[in-house]
Amino acid sequence: MMLAQAGFPAEMGGVTLAHYLLVSVLMFAIGLIGFLTRRNLIVMFLCTELMFQAAGIALVAFSRFHLNMTGQTFVIFVLTVAAAEAAMALALVVLLFRKRESLDADEWQEMKG
Amino acid sequence: VAEIINPYVLYAMLALGAVGVAIALPRRGVSWQVLGAILGATAIGAILLTMALKTPGQIPNLYFYVFALVAVGGALRVITHPKPVYSALYFILTVIATAGLFLILSAEFMAFALIIVYAGAILITYLFVIMLATQAPTEDDAEVLTEYDTTAREPIMATLSGFVLIAALTTLMLRGVPSLEKPAPVTQQLVERMPGKVERFLRNEKLLQPGEKVAIVDGVAQINATSKQITLAGADGKTRTIAWPEGLSMDNPERIGWSLLADHPGTIEIAGVILLMAMLGAVVLSRKQVQLDEDAKARMAAGLQKSDKLSTEEVSA
Repeated sequence: MMLAQAGFPAEMGGVTLAHYLLVSVLMFAIGLIGFLTRRNLIVMFLCTELMFQAAGIALVAFSRFHLNMTGQTFVIFVLTVAAAEAAMALALVVLLFRKRESLDADEWQEMKG
Repeated sequence: VAEIINPYVLYAMLALGAVGVAIALPRRGVSWQVLGAILGATAIGAILLTMALKTPGQIPNLYFYVFALVAVGGALRVITHPKPVYSALYFILTVIATAGLFLILSAEFMAFALIIVYAGAILITYLFVIMLATQAPTEDDAEVLTEYDTTAREPIMATLSGFVLIAALTTLMLRGVPSLEKPAPVTQQLVERMPGKVERFLRNEKLLQPGEKVAIVDGVAQINATSKQITLAGADGKTRTIAWPEGLSMDNPERIGWSLLADHPGTIEIAGVILLMAMLGAVVLSRKQVQLDEDAKARMAAGLQKSDKLSTEEVSA
């Protein structure tokens, strides 16, 4: 499972695919925990960005391991979606803040239905 | 994974990390936070250290451990810091460390795109919104920490589920496909379609005589990556064939460019449309509606009738 591949940019010196996947897993779980525990709407969205980031690490590591550029291309589209999501989500957050003067997610509990 | 880390050490450290993160999450009575942060950081650090001890030749990938530690530590701080502004700043730290990881993976284009798009654009928007959407500090209390920022919701259950997810995923990695087929070595087929790049490379290497160009027969550049030969045509029409020079290959941005525009041309158009829609949506959503009182409405109407325009109930700011 070594990432080192003859003929492609540089020797990886002992780092394997699993190293990167482990970092990605840790980061994704941290983002998940943050999304579940924090009550500030903005920080919750920051945590989703953290999860996007973790997925990006995994995709680029796989792309490097398989020497296939599609992984990195996919990360570009992940970035696009993250940017679009940030624009929309933050506009919604501003809207919600104007209604209740608070960023607490629990303020909107009645939306549970 | 068994080759890079002892599974029992991994599970023990994950349990320790879970306890640390659960304590470190913001809550009333902040005194325990520091202990939790130290505990969580030690656990994560120990995982990375055990990985470092298990794999030989640590010096070349020292940077991997540095960047990984900074990225995960920054991520921990994003979710534990009670002030949203600091959370956003720590997220920028995580983004930069991730860009470092991408550089080690020789994905230069992605590293710089990440810094430009995330640290440069998205996070600045976040910072602006954080500043727009916080209560103004009162005179006697400059540092307002709202209740919903200092109290976490269900910290123990959330941490438990998060670390169970980590354990499940790492177990899958332990049992998963032990070895994948090694990919075929990269061929230089795409270079065949880039005579301009070949000419530039040859000129830099002083292999190209003045007036010479890559020969093009029937619209096909005479570059053969399989037999490793390049045919050049001089100004007088004479041709000569040279061997493939050392170091002529595509770099990372060129590969991504080909992949984007040759393999996924439709997707990139759709991505553009999504971004445009998001921009329009954001403008429409955050438009502020100013409610005018009767007096102002009457004045507005009078002013508009004079200039022969439709009267509106509200103006958008």
